[in-house]
Amino acid sequence: MRKTDELEINAYVDGELSDEDRIEMLAAMRSNPELAREACELTNLKNQLQLAYANPPGISSCSTSPRRSPWTAIAASLMMLAGGLTGGWLLGHSPATSERFVMLDAEGRGQAPATAESPETRIVFHLTTPDQTEAGELLADVEQMLKAYQRDGQPLRVEIVSHGEGLDLLRTRLSKHQEKIHQLSSVFENLTFVACKNTIDRVEISEGIEINIVPGAEIIDSGVNHVVKRQKEGWAYIRV
Amino acid sequence: MRKAISMIAALLVAVGLIGQGVATAGYTKQKVVYHVNYDNPKKQAGALRNIQNHINAVGAENLDLKVVLHGNGLAMLVNPDSLPNLPKFKHANADDQMAAKIDGLKTQGVRFQVCANTIKGRAVNMENDLYDVDPEDIVPSGVAELAKLQGEGYTYIKP
Repeated sequence: MRKTDELEINAYVDGELSDEDRIEMLAAMRSNPELAREACELTNLKNQLQLAYANPPGISSCSTSPRRSPWTAIAASLMMLAGGLTGGWLLGHSPATSERFVMLDAEGRGQAPATAESPETRIVFHLTTPDQTEAGELLADVEQMLKAYQRDGQPLRVEIVSHGEGLDLLRTRLSKHQEKIHQLSSVFENLTFVACKNTIDRVEISEGIEINIVPGAEIIDSGVNHVVKRQKEGWAYIRV
Repeated sequence: MRKAISMIAALLVAVGLIGQGVATAGYTKQKVVYHVNYDNPKKQAGALRNIQNHINAVGAENLDLKVVLHGNGLAMLVNPDSLPNLPKFKHANADDQMAAKIDGLKTQGVRFQVCANTIKGRAVNMENDLYDVDPEDIVPSGVAELAKLQGEGYTYIKP
C-alpha cells in the first residue's frame, strides 16, 4: 500500500483523487481506523465551513464571471425592478403575506422569501447531543406541536436529523425512545427521522460493530449537507 | 428594590458603551433570534455576553434582536427564591448579576420571549416566579416562534 500523507487525505476529502486512488484510500481507511477518523473529521470541518458560509453576504458565487457584459447588468436591473414592483404590489395588496417578504438592502442583497409560496411550516431539528433526556424532551415538544397543528388544520412538516453523537437516539441498541419514535412515526406521516450515513460509517469503523437504525428512519449521506439543503429550501432550522 | 439596583447597573453599562464610541461601521440592519433551551448558568451568561458583543459590533440601531427561551432555558428568568416551588427546574438563574445583564440588554432593544407551553407545563407563576416578564413577552410555543421568525427572515443563532 502506498504511504498516505496528509495531502492525500485532503485531496480525498476535496474529491480531487482519481477513481483508482480513491479506491485505494477507501481500502486504506478500512484497515486504518485512525486514517478514517481523520478523513471524517476533515469532512465534517469542510461541511461546517460550508454551512457557516452557505449564504455569504456580499460574496458572489464562484461561477460568476469577473467581467459581466453591460447587457447582463441591464437585464439584472430590469429583473430587480420587476421584482420590486411585484413585491410592492404584493405588499400593498396582501397584508397577510406581507411579513413574509424581506426588503432588499441598499446593495440589493436580501433573503429570498423562501416560504412565500408555501403556507406549510417546515422545521428541521438538528440533533447532535447523545443526551437521551434532551432527546426525550425534543420528542415531547415535537409531539405537542404536531398535535396542535393537526388540531388547527395547519400544514406542518418536521424532520429530526440525528448526526454525530445525536445518532444514539436512532440506534436500536442505545435508544431509550424506540417505542415513542415508532408511535409518533405511525401516527404522523409528516414526521421523518433521518440518520446520517457518514456518522454510521464512522462509528462502525471505530467501534467495529454493525449499527442498526430503528425501523422507519431514513438514512442520508451527510447530516450536515442535509440541514444545509433544508435551510436553502426555506425550512426553519433548530439545533437541539 | 432589586429591580431598581439592576436598572441602575444597566444604565451604567449603557453609559459606558456610549462613552466607548462603539464601532458599527459597515453593518446594515439585521434581524436575529437567539435560542436558549439549556439551564447551565454559565452557558446562559455566555449567551448574554455573545448578544452584547453582537450589539457592540453591529450597533443597537441596526439590530432587531429577540431571545426565545423555552424548556430549561426559562431558568434564566426564574427567581432563585421560587426554585423550591418549581420542582421541574434544576436551576434558577435570575440572580442580581443575571438581572442586571438582562436589563442592560433590554435598554438596548433586546426582547426576551417566553414559551407559554413551558410556563403551563412547569406550573410557573409569571408574576411571582419570573424576573420582569410581561404578558406581551409570552409566545404560545417557543419552537413554533423560532420557525415563524425564521420565516420572516430572522437569522437563527444558538450560542
